[in-house]
This record gives sequence, structure tokens and C-alpha cells, in this order.
Amino acid sequence: MKKIKLGFIFVVLFVSLVGCAEQKLLEQIGLTTLLGYDLREDDKLSVTAVVRQVNPEFQSNVEVISAENETIRGARTVINRKTSKKIVTGQMRVVLFGEEISKDGIAHNIDTLSKNSETSGGLYVAVVEGETKSLLEYQYQDIEDIGTHIFKLLEQNIKSEQIISSTIHEVAHDYYSPGRDVALPIIKRKEEIVEISGVALFNKDKMVGKLSAENSFYLKLARDFHKAAMFETKIPKESLPASQTQESQEDITVVIDTISTKKKLKLINPDTPEFDMHITVHGRLLEIEANMDMDNPKNVQKLEEEIEKSMSKNLAKILVYCQEVDSDVFGLGEFYRSSVRESNLTYEKWHEMYKDAKVNIKVDFTVLRSGIFE
Amino acid sequence: MNNTIHVKNQEMINAFLLFFVIHTIQVGVGIHGFQRVIYQDAKQDAWISVLLVGIATHIIAIIMIKTLEIYGSNDLYGIHQDIFGKWFGNFLNLLYVLYCSTAFFSVLRNYIEVVQTWVFPNLSTWFISATLLLIVIYAFTGGLRVIVGISFFSFVLSIWLLPMLVYPLQFTSARSLLPIMETDIIGILKGAQSMTFTIAGFEILNVIYPFIKDKNKVQKHVHFGLLATTIIYLSVILVSITYFSPEQLNKSIWATLTLFSIVQFPFIERFEYIAVCFWMLVILPNLCLYLWAAYRGSIRLVKVNSTKFIWLFSVVIFMLSISIETRTQINAVNTYFSKVGFYVIFVYPILIYLLAIMKKKYRTRKEQKI
Repeated sequence: MKKIKLGFIFVVLFVSLVGCAEQKLLEQIGLTTLLGYDLREDDKLSVTAVVRQVNPEFQSNVEVISAENETIRGARTVINRKTSKKIVTGQMRVVLFGEEISKDGIAHNIDTLSKNSETSGGLYVAVVEGETKSLLEYQYQDIEDIGTHIFKLLEQNIKSEQIISSTIHEVAHDYYSPGRDVALPIIKRKEEIVEISGVALFNKDKMVGKLSAENSFYLKLARDFHKAAMFETKIPKESLPASQTQESQEDITVVIDTISTKKKLKLINPDTPEFDMHITVHGRLLEIEANMDMDNPKNVQKLEEEIEKSMSKNLAKILVYCQEVDSDVFGLGEFYRSSVRESNLTYEKWHEMYKDAKVNIKVDFTVLRSGIFE
Repeated sequence: MNNTIHVKNQEMINAFLLFFVIHTIQVGVGIHGFQRVIYQDAKQDAWISVLLVGIATHIIAIIMIKTLEIYGSNDLYGIHQDIFGKWFGNFLNLLYVLYCSTAFFSVLRNYIEVVQTWVFPNLSTWFISATLLLIVIYAFTGGLRVIVGISFFSFVLSIWLLPMLVYPLQFTSARSLLPIMETDIIGILKGAQSMTFTIAGFEILNVIYPFIKDKNKVQKHVHFGLLATTIIYLSVILVSITYFSPEQLNKSIWATLTLFSIVQFPFIERFEYIAVCFWMLVILPNLCLYLWAAYRGSIRLVKVNSTKFIWLFSVVIFMLSISIETRTQINAVNTYFSKVGFYVIFVYPILIYLLAIMKKKYRTRKEQKI
């Protein structure tokens, strides 16, 4: 009997304690969906947070709060002082870096984000042209929740493989790897809309250059495993025979939807080092600014050759640019490390070699189909 | 041969349940972060270390079973007393009880730390410690068959976590594994040795053996259990090496949980929270089995009934768990345990086996003389 009584007391005690550990009621917290970091002149950090608050009686509203302090956490406490609700970061989807802080170095931020158990590995990271604060605080006519909007913008473009993927896991992966550099999408405000304007190239943790949005397709092609994306390229008018184009045109623009791509990299000389990059692209011809007889296999072959030429030219250009700014976003170093036994590759050692690395680019392009109407 | 254990038939368990016992006691808190410990020594060849440890466990298991078969129905404690005599044998028994208790403590404290860092940073140690200990006490008073039942359910209810590793696969690159065998053999072996803490547990066989009903089937099911563990560890390490970059893996304390943090479902935002909480079910058999093993040893040393033992044991563990607080201290406990564990698990069974054979030969010769 006594035992049962004691057991009963224990059960009541523990049942009543369940859920008391750490309450986070939705009505009492502000969910940070996006954080933006800027650098101020006096070396202070400015943090802008997009906070979504859920009220039981109204619809949820979104607030943009910013604060300045020496550290990220410090700024967060300042933000906390400005709201009636406790700020939590469990639902954070995007972290944005202003251009200034990107050029100054984001190592500390990557480190802090990776350390925090509250942030998910699937968080997106991007660079903002100019300041994040002005981008986030602007009153857009059509955008209600700027945090979710930017997240959807990035997610949609990354999922459809228009731009390189930049989850915090991948950023940390590249940052901590001796033979691969970080590349992040660049976001910019253009009047009433927010758009992806290109790709930022990093050397270790500092932004050293950027590529235009058009060129980012090629970067993606050479960097990551790649399934489908659309791209546009120009080929000289004279190169295509029997084409009927407008007199005024100089180039013919071709739009292609890639169905599948394959990248083969080979280290042919570890001393220089010299690589062979062989890219095979199968695609669908979506649009061509010329009247061309696609029934003729010769025409198709000629077109394919021209596209190959223009693609490898563009790729080579990007590669040279990346070497100039000393940013190995292609992961050539990683490839070098895995191909050469006992290379003991360090960051410094690889970047010494990277400047003189030679890459022979070869593109194979095949038009699989061109639509339902010839 | 004295001290042979006579177990009532209704207290025995079937040999096939050994699969769950061996497997669940091996998989515990170690799997959360074993990658970086091995990676420090073996680099991208860490998976070879895991494979080697897997093979080593099979060999040691064969030796353990051979030793136990010499004695028919007895556990390691009885074997100690038989080989070394009452005094020294009991001294070794005491050490073994201490070893089991340290294992228990280590599992408990590590799990508490994981809960505190990942889910509830402000939850006090004593609360989780007391809660877990109460569950363990409850299970322990049910006897071995209840504990084995927990092992069974722990396996069945948590095996779905393994397919979750498919999710991080989209971020992996197989080239990270190359070049294979770049690390020299010493590095790989060192890595294998550091894995002791993770792979430990199957030495429970030494204590549970007398309770198995059909002893001729023990070997088969033990090896199945060990194989399942090796497969799980191998897949986790392969995904980890290809998913993380070298420095990143070196810095991740709980790489498996970091792996899980990329998993996202429309209905669950943070999957690793579920994983951490669910892990209580995974470590429960570890705690229960180590506790039970410690109890089996204690009754050889002093006459103590199970109720008294369990309360005394819990109080001591509880006190220890609240006195060790920081990451550095916990890491130190893990490192020491791993170092000692290596000899207890991989070296000592061989020694005992040789001594048991010698003793047997000596005895038969003596009997022949008479």
C-alpha cells in the first residue's frame, strides 16, 4: 500500500513537470525568419532582423528591427530590448551579408552560425549589393513579408538550378575545405523588386569578385552536379548557313534548356597543375532568333558546334577571371587533393599553385529535340 | 568448478534475442560524434578503421564464446573466481563492476549533455539525470527479461532513423574518400582504437551467457548483432566523410546530429530535435544492461539484494552526474574510458581465454593422475 502511494506521488510529480522545461509559446515569441549583417564605419556590426509575430486575434505581422553592437549576440540582445516578444532563431531561413562585411570577411559569422544548434543546416546564405538594412527596411508595395519573400526567391532559383546552391552547410563545407572557395548568390533591390543579380566569389572568407547572373550558369555547370537549367547564348551570324535573319542583327541568340549535364575532370599534370575539363550537355532547343531548317542534320550539327564553341569560350573566360581574383570556386583544389597521393594540401599551398593552373575545357553539346513544330 | 550459475527456466531468454541485446548496447551515445575522433587519426580512410573494428569485434566475440563454453554455464565473474582464486578473482570482479558502472555513467552523462546543447540549454542536469535513473530503476526491477524486452523495442522503434541518412546524400561528393589508403596503417589503427567507446558493449556477453536457453545458437545471433552494428557505423561514417569537408568534420562534436540538421519535412522543421529526444529510447538498453551487469558482479562480492543495490547505485551515479559539468570534463571521462575500455574489450578476453585453457588442461591432467 505504501509503495503504491509513493509511486502515485512520483507519477503526479513527473506528469505535472512535463512541458515545464522550456516553454516557447507561439504567441509569446517573435520568429526571426531572416537576418542581415552590415558593417558600420566604426567597426560595429549592424544586425537587421525580419521578425514574424503571431497574434492570437490578428493575422501575423512582420517587423523589421535593426540594432548595432560589437557582436552578433550583442546585437541580438539590443533587438530583444526593442520588442515585446522573445526573439528566437529556430525558424531562420536566410542570412544576408552586406557587401562591406563580405569584403571584410565573414569567417566569424560562418563559425557562429555553424556553432549554434538552433540554426538548421539548410539555412540559405547570400550577399546583398549595398546594404542589407536598406534592402530590408524599404517599404515594398507588393511584398508583405520580406523575409519569406527572399527565402522563396532563393529557394526557387536554387531548386530550379538557376543559381549555385548556398546553404550554410555548403558554405561551411567550402570554407573549411583547403581546395574549394565559397560562392554566394548576390541579391539586389531594383526599384520595387528584389532580384538575384549575380554570384559573389570569395577567397577564404573575403569577397573578391563577382559574376553576372548570366555567367552564374556556367559557374554552376563547372562547379556542382547539375540537372536542369535554362541558358541563353549568342553565336555569330555568319556561322550558321542558310539562315534567314534580319539584316540588322549581328548575333543570333539561342535559348537552351539543359536536360542533363555531365562533368568530367581529369588531372593530367600534377606539377603545373593542368586539368582536362570535359562537359557533356544534352539540351532542348527552346528558342532561336533565326529561321533555320532543323530537318537538315548538317544545320543541327553546325549549330551544336557553334554552341559548344561559345560555351567553352565563356567558361574559359570565367575561369581566367576566377584565377585573377584568386578564388577557386570550382573546387579544383579539392580534386587535386583527391587525385594526388600525400599532397598534404593546405590552403596556402593550393592557392600558390592555383594561379598557374591550366584547365583545358571541352564542351560536348547535343540537341535532343526542338519542340513540336518545325 | 564452483560457482556455476543455475538459472530457472522461466528466467532464461532465447538466443535470437541476443541479436537485439548485442546490437542495442553497442549503439548508443557514441554514434552521435564518433566520426571526428576517428577522423583525426585516419583522415578520409576512417571508414577502413570502422571496418577493422567491426572485424575485430567478431574475432573477440568468438574468443569470448569459446572461453564461456569451457565453463558451460558461468559468467565472467565466476570464471575470475575459478582461475584466480577467491581473493584476486574478487578483486578483478570489483574492477569489472567499476568498469560497467563507468560505462553506465558515461552513457548517461553524454546523453544529458547532448540534450542540453541541442534542445534544452537551460534544463538542469539533475532533472534529466533523475528522470532517466527512475526509468532505469523501473526497468531494472523487472529483471533481465524486461531489460531484454527494452532492447528489442529500442531496436524496432528506432531503426527508421537510419534511412534518414539518405537526405544528406544530396550534398555529398564521393571524391572526398579519395585517395584511398593515403593514411598509413598506424593512423588507421589508431583511429580504430579511438572507436572503442562507440563500439563497446558487446562484452555484456560475458555476463548474460548463463541466461541463454539454447546455447548452441549463441554464436550465430551474436555475429548477426555485431554485423548490424558494423553496417550502421560504416554507413554513418561514409556519409559523414563525403558530406563534411575535413576541417568541418574535425570541428563537429556531434557530426551525426549535424547531419540530421539538414533533414527537413513540411511538418517538422528541425528533425534533429526529434532525433535527440528519440535517442533516449536508444540509450535505455545501454543503461539497463550495464547496470544489470554491474549488479551481477556485485552479488558475487557482497550479499546485497537488488532493491538495496539499485538505490545505492542510483544515488552514487546521480551525485557523480551533477558534479561533472563541463564539456572538458566529460571529454576527459570519455577519453579515459575509451583507453581503459580498449584493454578490457579487445585485450583482456584473449588473456582470459589463454588462462582458461591452461587451467582446463591442468585440471584434466590432475584428474587423470587421480
